[in-house]
Amino acid sequence: MQFPLLLLLFSAAADLSGTADLRETGLSIPASAPPLLLCPQPGAPRDLAPPGLASARSAVGEPEEAQNVGHHGGGFRVVQWEWTYVQTPYIIAMWLLVASVAKILFHFSQHFTTVVPESCMLILLGLVLGGVVLVANKKQLYQLDPALFFLFLLPTIVGDAGYFMSARLFFDNLGAILTYAVVGTLWNAFCCGFSLYAAKLLQVIDERVQADLMDFLLFGALISAVDPVAVLAVFEEVHVNDTLFIIVFGESLVNDAVTVVLYKVYISFVEVGVENVETADYFKGVASFFIVSIGGTLVGVVFAVILGFITRFTKKVRIIEPLFVFLLVYLAYLTAELFSLSAILSMTFCGIGANKYVEANISQKSRTTVKYTMKTLASIAETIIFIFLGISAVDKSKWAWDTGLVSCTLVFIFVFRAVGVIGQTWVLNRFRLIPLDKIDQVVMSYGGLRGAVAFALVVLLDGKRVKAKDYFVATTIVVVFFTVMFQGLTIKPLVKWLKVPRSSSRKPTINEEIHERAFDHILTAVEDIAGLQGYHHWRDKWEQFDKNYLSKLLLRKSVYRKSELWEAYQKINIRDAISVIDQGGNVLTSARLSLPSMASRASFPEFTNVTNYLRENGSGVCLDLQVIDNVPGAKVEEDTETHHVLAENLYKPRRRYQSHYSRHFMSLGEKERQDREVFQRNMKSRMETFKSTRYKRHKKERSLKKRQGLDRDKPRRNVSWQDTDPVFVSVESDEEKDEHSDAEKEEDVGITFVARRTETPKPRPKSVPPAVGDSHSPTAAPPSPTNGGSLLPWKGSVSSPPPCVSVEATKIIPVDLQQAWNQSISSLESVSSPPTHTEPVHPRVSALSRLGVPRPISYSPPGSVGGCTSSIGSQVVQSSLCFPEKKKEQEMEEEQEKEEEAELQPLLAPPTSLTKPPPPPGSAPSSGKRRKPSVYLRSLVTTPSTGSNEPHSRDPTQL
Amino acid sequence: MGASQTRSESVYQELMDKTGFSLEQIKNLKKRFLHLSGNEETISRENLDAIPALANNPIRKQIIEAFFDKRNQRSSEVGHLEEIGFEQFVMVMSHFRPPALRTSVEEREVMRKEKLQFLFNMHDTDNDGVITLVEYRKVVEELLSKSGAIGHEAARAIADAAMLEVASTNVPDMAPDDFYEGITFEHFEQILKGLEMESRMHIRFLDVDTSTMRCGKSTS
Repeated sequence: MQFPLLLLLFSAAADLSGTADLRETGLSIPASAPPLLLCPQPGAPRDLAPPGLASARSAVGEPEEAQNVGHHGGGFRVVQWEWTYVQTPYIIAMWLLVASVAKILFHFSQHFTTVVPESCMLILLGLVLGGVVLVANKKQLYQLDPALFFLFLLPTIVGDAGYFMSARLFFDNLGAILTYAVVGTLWNAFCCGFSLYAAKLLQVIDERVQADLMDFLLFGALISAVDPVAVLAVFEEVHVNDTLFIIVFGESLVNDAVTVVLYKVYISFVEVGVENVETADYFKGVASFFIVSIGGTLVGVVFAVILGFITRFTKKVRIIEPLFVFLLVYLAYLTAELFSLSAILSMTFCGIGANKYVEANISQKSRTTVKYTMKTLASIAETIIFIFLGISAVDKSKWAWDTGLVSCTLVFIFVFRAVGVIGQTWVLNRFRLIPLDKIDQVVMSYGGLRGAVAFALVVLLDGKRVKAKDYFVATTIVVVFFTVMFQGLTIKPLVKWLKVPRSSSRKPTINEEIHERAFDHILTAVEDIAGLQGYHHWRDKWEQFDKNYLSKLLLRKSVYRKSELWEAYQKINIRDAISVIDQGGNVLTSARLSLPSMASRASFPEFTNVTNYLRENGSGVCLDLQVIDNVPGAKVEEDTETHHVLAENLYKPRRRYQSHYSRHFMSLGEKERQDREVFQRNMKSRMETFKSTRYKRHKKERSLKKRQGLDRDKPRRNVSWQDTDPVFVSVESDEEKDEHSDAEKEEDVGITFVARRTETPKPRPKSVPPAVGDSHSPTAAPPSPTNGGSLLPWKGSVSSPPPCVSVEATKIIPVDLQQAWNQSISSLESVSSPPTHTEPVHPRVSALSRLGVPRPISYSPPGSVGGCTSSIGSQVVQSSLCFPEKKKEQEMEEEQEKEEEAELQPLLAPPTSLTKPPPPPGSAPSSGKRRKPSVYLRSLVTTPSTGSNEPHSRDPTQL
Repeated sequence: MGASQTRSESVYQELMDKTGFSLEQIKNLKKRFLHLSGNEETISRENLDAIPALANNPIRKQIIEAFFDKRNQRSSEVGHLEEIGFEQFVMVMSHFRPPALRTSVEEREVMRKEKLQFLFNMHDTDNDGVITLVEYRKVVEELLSKSGAIGHEAARAIADAAMLEVASTNVPDMAPDDFYEGITFEHFEQILKGLEMESRMHIRFLDVDTSTMRCGKSTS
């Protein structure tokens, strides 16, 4: 608290001292306000003395001086001079700082912020700051300037909200949203206007309020619109269910068109005088509503198309991708403003429309940048808006109080809102499939918050034309404060008390995701069969259209081809990862994961975080993917190899070190790598946790293994990856390559090769009890096609009943996890990577792979032993392995590593080449020795079991 | 004429009671039915298959199959029909009837269960009460794989993952040598617990007759 106050004092004081003689002119705020200036309107322009270089330089040291001066109340010429020079940016920066610090302070107390919405606190802070400034200056220096608000603050918030709004949700509820936004707002506006006028006639409102019907209607129009800023600020902390939120929030966005039109119409009526208004003007008003709303929407859509189209071609200049997003979305807003269309609508639709294509086109880093920047800006804008609302309220000179007007307005807006909502809902419920029940209606009525838009509009009024402007300003401020503070404060308890269904932060599971998709298709199909052309029918039509035309136009080729499946798969993998993390209480992400998923600016929904990780990894985590896979062992050998390769590749991040040469691409940050690392570790450790709970006594081994794992990582990083990457890059650098593979490239160069492998993923006997392993003799030979079961490590490892994989057979899990990752990655890749781009590399690759393949032997006792033990540790419990086997394992492991290395090279080799190379007994013992012993172990152990148990596994696929 | 009129009225009445559709809705459905069947008494798979709008639907087969599945007739019979009459047609349709404005908790529960059962039956193609991995895979594959062979791999992987998820949520304490046979209805209910079935599994059946517009479009 102290800090912001100080800052404010400082800037105010500086202003004072700096422009001591300008005070009279400078402090009269709104009059000379250069439209975009935030706050003080000092006589800056007046002071023409161009600050020279010297002054500019000395400006750096100026703050202290200024402060001193401020304290002493004196003024040095020099100081004054420089202050005017830096004043505007300085004050803006200072306000940003104040706002940000204030935000930090509020979030110090977790408990406090859960009870009191941030917006309330910000307004209060604004009040205090305003008071301080007032005391210091005798005049209010700062005020929410409408131009600033409409041109900068509002768009940042709307842009963020629009861009990240769920399009599906929005359009699913479009009917309700439109109704509430249009009918509801009109209803509110007229009712408030007329009722206030009636109250005036009834003398409830004081005589001093010089206003006639038109003035009241005007006031009604601006006070009746639900405000997106306030709704966002309050609702994002309440977490009501998505439908409710989107209805209220969508209404607040869409009603902008109504507000704009009403406001303009009334203003013009007031200006010409009511008596001069012709009938035609009313129709013009109606027409202008359609023009403003539809025009705004069209502008937004046009910009969305442009944006999507542009981002198709930013492959070479990834770095400016975010800029395009910001610029075009903002331009959509400004363009709409330019033609006095509904800017909010325009921006919203631009965001909604472009999101899908842009997100698919731009790189992951750009996505993150866009997201963070938007959220940051919006968060700051919101903070500033609320602080300034508070500050503006302190400005006595601006408003005049009339109790009658204020109380009437409060009552009317509340009552009419409630009546309007209930009435409309009653009508809507006859058409809605999911009726809005009473509780929803209460929340919607109560959630009709007024905010800064109304305030900015009322400040914009021309005091000469609208005589009662000051009263209106005061009333608006009170209304805004009341709704934001009182209702904002009480809505949470109310929601709790009413037991409004909340939005769950839980992400849908895979099955739910699948069924969501299934529902869409089922419903569409049933509608078609029933011969109805309902919502689903049209949605399906739109999707077809989108797929056939729009996506082709707006998506990159590479993205377009993979889009649908990629999306679905990615999504599901992400879900899976999330669920794993959730269950495991993952240290790294748990904090973020607990956050709500609603359009929240203060906090990032968990989705993004995990998405980022996964995306950056170029894959999702699909824990169990192939585990159950069951295909007869025809290609066993291939599979074995594949598997080994795959199993080795868990630690993807490590491989990605070099890769990007281009200065247009940013290299991977240390941090990200670490994060990913941590993420993966956590996944692993979570698995281990399971293990530990189950098999307590093997803790030792486990820890050993862990250590081992750490050690293991290192060698590999240097060895395989650095080698391979160059190959990849060099071959791929051509444009056309890029076309195809850019996504993969940037996301994870290394993964590509894996993809092909997995295509053969096979069979796991579901029911292989590891225990059988004992019987298996240690002599189990290295992979031989005949011995399919034994060779396929996953069979052994994963083969225990599928369910076991994640929960049960925890002993194997780490490995499974790895496999799963690899597999998921590979399948992702297979989905995403067009086969074409792999070809060129092929020759080289295959050669490499040959080289690397060195098969058996070269033991590295220390490392491998460690590895073995660890893996064994996991296995032992069940399989009761004995030591001899270990050796075997080592051997195998070794082999495996070799193989893997070999495999690593052929990054892009087509599937066939990859899989084929039979393990040539080779030489090249190389670095990556200690990997993945466990896999082998398992294969050994479980081999027999596979055979024996398979019969009784029910899985039909096996047959 | 009069007699047949009253007879059909009484049939309609019965159907209304059974399915909860309004008379108008049933009449509309009847028109649609006749349109689909070419004025025959019954409808066959080919009739449904020929609906042009369905052509792009990835799970067309399952849905059509669902219409011929005896389990969806709210009787205890099992098996498949070759042709269905209007009554069966409406019965299947009634699974997608939106809930009334006011429904009690129990009613909702029942409804939910019915809808789930419908879904379950759709997946469980061999009527054995268990959705096996193969069956489930097929569903997922068809859902996702409009895009060829690659899609199959991914779809299969997804199905596997989903299956595992079911297994792990439902049978957390499975012994190591157990294996998960498939999704039973209870498990199915369990995994879709979080899904708002009531609000998602229905479509709006029109009260007004729009068959004329409909015919033009659907046949075109």
